[in-house]
Amino acid sequence: MNELNKALGDISSIRRQVAHSTEFRGYGPATLVATGCIAVLAGAIQARWLPDAVNGISTYLTIWISTAVLSAALICVQMVTRTQRIHSGMADEMIRMAVEQFLPAAGAGGLMTFVLVRFVPSAFWMIPGLLQVIFSLGVFSSCRFLPRPMVIAGVWYLATGLACISLGDSRALSPWAMAIPYGVGQALVAGILLMSRQASRDGGSDEG
Amino acid sequence: MDLSEGRFAYEGLDRVIHERARLSVLTCLITNPKGLTFGDLKQLCALTDGNLSRHLSVLEKGEMVEIEKGHDHNRPQTICRITASGRARYLEYLSTLEQVVRDAAKGTKLDRSLTPLKA
Repeated sequence: MNELNKALGDISSIRRQVAHSTEFRGYGPATLVATGCIAVLAGAIQARWLPDAVNGISTYLTIWISTAVLSAALICVQMVTRTQRIHSGMADEMIRMAVEQFLPAAGAGGLMTFVLVRFVPSAFWMIPGLLQVIFSLGVFSSCRFLPRPMVIAGVWYLATGLACISLGDSRALSPWAMAIPYGVGQALVAGILLMSRQASRDGGSDEG
Repeated sequence: MDLSEGRFAYEGLDRVIHERARLSVLTCLITNPKGLTFGDLKQLCALTDGNLSRHLSVLEKGEMVEIEKGHDHNRPQTICRITASGRARYLEYLSTLEQVVRDAAKGTKLDRSLTPLKA
């Protein structure tokens, strides 16, 4: 029985090794563009119904937390179905890796928002910029098993986050300070994924 | 117990892969998707030149690996890579192998539970 369990362990370890050397294809470009559109829509909603975000922090948070939850749910559902289709033999391993890469950034972003809102409300204006910087770290850490040019998307989110912080006051709470970075950023991510898939199709590259 | 026909047929145990040397060559190549030189592959799989060539030609015939002959610093160099179909067949093989071991483990458990206790 021990030998059989060891054999199962060895097979899992081979599968893990293969997963580590495989490019992850669970993120669908169309879904990513959709999440960018959701961000732009959220920006439009904020512009229309919350012209003064400084005096409507809870509404601001409701808009953007709903946007984040909806986008994350869309990406998760699509990631699971797509990964099971494309990486059939090692879908679970690939999903686990994808989550492991991005979860620390998502968790840090959530906790940072909570701490700033709860304990340092005067620094609330920094939230959009800091969220983008943390998001960029999530993108950078996922780059290891995504196409190499994905680093451009990481740089984009880092740059927009820093630009947002450099505004230095409540101007950073403008609806477009979130809508443009995420709208353009998600389209950029989708474009990079599409181009790399096209390139690998042309080169007859592998799929797991 | 599942008595459906072909339950233990294990069709996924591809005969081309189901050979120790070829299995180690493919495992080596699948974990190095950019490819390995003939020399590195020979060393990693502990095979002789002739043996490795023979197994590579079987895998190449089955379109599971591609072999690229080139030069590095004016010295001839052979790079071996796993193909997309080789990768897919290897993963299918791995799943079937896992099923074989799971079935065996289940059988062992059942066997133990049916063995009468000695007085």
